[in-house]
Amino acid sequence: MRTFGLLKLLFVILIGAFIFSSCKKDPLNNLSNEETRIYITNYDTTADFSSYKTFSVDDSAAVIQNNQYMGKILGNYETQLILQLQNMMKQSGYTLVSKSAGPDLAVNISEIISTQTGIFSYGDYWDYYDYYYDPYYWGYPGYGYYAPYFVGTYTIQTNGLEVDLLDLKNATANGNKIKGIWTGLARGEDVFNPNSAAIEIAAFFSQSPYLKTTN
Amino acid sequence: MKSLSKYMLPAILIIATSYSATAQNAVEIGIGYNVGLPASSFKNDYISKPSFRGFAASLDYAFTSQWRAGISIGFNDYYQKYPRQVYNEGGGSAVSAVLSNSIQLLPVMAHVNYTLFDKGLVRPYAGLGAGANFIHFDQYLGEFDNPVSKVKFIVQGEAGVFIPLSSYSSTAIKIGAAYNFSPFNEFGTPNLNSWGLQAGIRFPLH
Repeated sequence: MRTFGLLKLLFVILIGAFIFSSCKKDPLNNLSNEETRIYITNYDTTADFSSYKTFSVDDSAAVIQNNQYMGKILGNYETQLILQLQNMMKQSGYTLVSKSAGPDLAVNISEIISTQTGIFSYGDYWDYYDYYYDPYYWGYPGYGYYAPYFVGTYTIQTNGLEVDLLDLKNATANGNKIKGIWTGLARGEDVFNPNSAAIEIAAFFSQSPYLKTTN
Repeated sequence: MKSLSKYMLPAILIIATSYSATAQNAVEIGIGYNVGLPASSFKNDYISKPSFRGFAASLDYAFTSQWRAGISIGFNDYYQKYPRQVYNEGGGSAVSAVLSNSIQLLPVMAHVNYTLFDKGLVRPYAGLGAGANFIHFDQYLGEFDNPVSKVKFIVQGEAGVFIPLSSYSSTAIKIGAAYNFSPFNEFGTPNLNSWGLQAGIRFPLH
């Protein structure tokens, strides 16, 4: 009778363990790629955005990987970004001018890539190999297993888009410093996808209603 | 999960009703399904949807046919996703994100339980419990989360009915409701109070 009671207890514990381990809903599995993205904007609260009238957008994007400048890029994604930025700035009342015309605002685009590299090894896995796989199965009862040291590496990459508005109009008055007065940052899945460009820029402007002027 | 539970319930019933021994002075096990309903600031601040992913289990000693005391453990997984919204952080900063709240509550309590009648087809009961609430709180902004684990005090009041399955043993179906007072006092939220709706089975362990 006692044995049967313990079996029942074990049965109940196993059921509990099963339920406990299988019943958590993973939030990441319930997000589309667009929903994984966050858009963060920040602005200089002392800036008067209506005092700027003209702007120019950089003709390509800077790639910055692990805090190192890797060069400029102009692909389909960057072209979409530039067009969308020009459209949104114009809708906000600013006038697009060429770089040589001395714009009040400069728009810079940066693609920020962070990579993390790590090492994994499964030493413990081989220590217990004969427990997982009885050598008897292969016709070698009593034998042990041996494996050279296995090690591997992994790399995780996260991407971010950053758009900066720079105050060129007051650069001299600001002590010969070009001041950043607005920043937009997008992070998440598919940030650098051409189909995401319009969504990202629209999100930046939609949450920055102060970013407007009248000509 | 669904297909497994199809076989699990009959299996539990077969084992539970296989005893013919009497109930008094026995150790009993209870296990059941638990639906969690957030209440108070838990509902207002984090999650308004019920949790259908939960269970409750207990190990009791029956001092008499009416009085029992023991320990219980429960689990509920709460989850809710909110549509994209702009959150103004102050100082010129704003964040636009789909917000997901994921909260797991695992209360471990000592409790006493009193059954009003020791005879009848339906036997009402009431109980009180107190213990520790193991809380895992994870708020996601998009895919970026900030997990926090806390252990807080919890008090539970419960009531319901037992429906005996046998004249000779304490094996019974349990249907009841519980209210969990669970102070939190983190992130501006005073509590994670909740209702629990339970359906399960109790059987003696010899």
